[in-house]
Amino acid sequence: MSDFLSAYSIQNWLESCPQGYLENTEYGHQPGEKEPELLITNPLLHEETLRATVQLVVGERCALSASSGLINAAPDEASKRFLATQTLDEARHVEIFTQRLYDLGVKKEDLESTIRHFANPNLVKFAEVLLDKVDRKDFIAGVVGQNIVLEGMAFSVFEMLHALNQDMNPKFAHTLSGTIADERRHVGFGENRIGSLIKAHPEKKAEVERMQKEMSYWMLATFADAFRNNTAAAEFKRIEQEAGLEHHARFQGVDLAGMEPEAMEVVLADTVLKEFKVRLGRIGIDYQTPVRP
Amino acid sequence: MSDPLQQSEEALEAERPRQRYLLEDTGFDEVPKKYRKFYRKWKGAGDELAPNEVICPVCKVVIRSSRELRPGDRVYCMPCMSRLVVVRTEQGTLEAHVAY
Repeated sequence: MSDFLSAYSIQNWLESCPQGYLENTEYGHQPGEKEPELLITNPLLHEETLRATVQLVVGERCALSASSGLINAAPDEASKRFLATQTLDEARHVEIFTQRLYDLGVKKEDLESTIRHFANPNLVKFAEVLLDKVDRKDFIAGVVGQNIVLEGMAFSVFEMLHALNQDMNPKFAHTLSGTIADERRHVGFGENRIGSLIKAHPEKKAEVERMQKEMSYWMLATFADAFRNNTAAAEFKRIEQEAGLEHHARFQGVDLAGMEPEAMEVVLADTVLKEFKVRLGRIGIDYQTPVRP
Repeated sequence: MSDPLQQSEEALEAERPRQRYLLEDTGFDEVPKKYRKFYRKWKGAGDELAPNEVICPVCKVVIRSSRELRPGDRVYCMPCMSRLVVVRTEQGTLEAHVAY
């Protein structure tokens, strides 16, 4: 166990992140890159971009609270050190997505009111389920909720957003690729650490499974709100057609660019739930199918 | 009891020397510089794996070895720090399973 955990050292983190993929970046993207003008000047696209970015800030604020809160609940020093690096990763994510709100024109004094206005209540409930476990210093449930459920969701959401933005918005795509790299370490820690702990504490299984089912429901409800009746997608398509742009965004073997938002919701939800099932199965937890909103 | 034919196939494979590969940097910058040639990004469905490559099931990065991989080989995914064992699937392809 000590050898496995020693890989999650601060030294490795320094060599991988600040001296690796984050070197020569500012707020996660290359210096000088800007948001496309259209996202600032078109009111419909601007509001939708603000709304989407606020969900990222809300999710990352939850991850920051959870990873920092779990440090004192961790049963060993190496896990505490890993969670310290994860805390800085999450703080960075909060910062870069907050900076995106500023780049989109949100004034600093309006930040909290903007977040309150656009934050999806279902995502807030998702966060509350996890933070309740963290507040109780329940390390096993907290790490499953944070590093498998929340990070597993973020991993797929960021990959989908990355695919959608790679051609159209390189600045945001670059920001996302650094966060995806961070998520790899976070989900790796979640699986590898909890895989052994669940074997030692089988009595925790039922509670963890209930939490996964509840968090999955709030996640699906958040996706439903984000995709159904999404008018911005049609506006994006109209603009692309007018400009004669051919936009392709491959994710999970499908071309997102040609899909309706409702179909994209199905692809994303199915991808995340399938990942949950496989990941949880590997560590000995039975996936619980959530109610579909 | 295992299939005698399978045993003989495994024995044959064990005798056959492993193909060696010269690894070049693929631009994968998520690990320290000296380890970067051992990993590459997976391009999704349709991305064919070479005989010296397996996908990490935890973080979906392609792990590359300087020699051909075979069932029973142990590989390490540095981007997510998972320890993996290579297995042969029913379809005949190689797959990595996590060893906790």
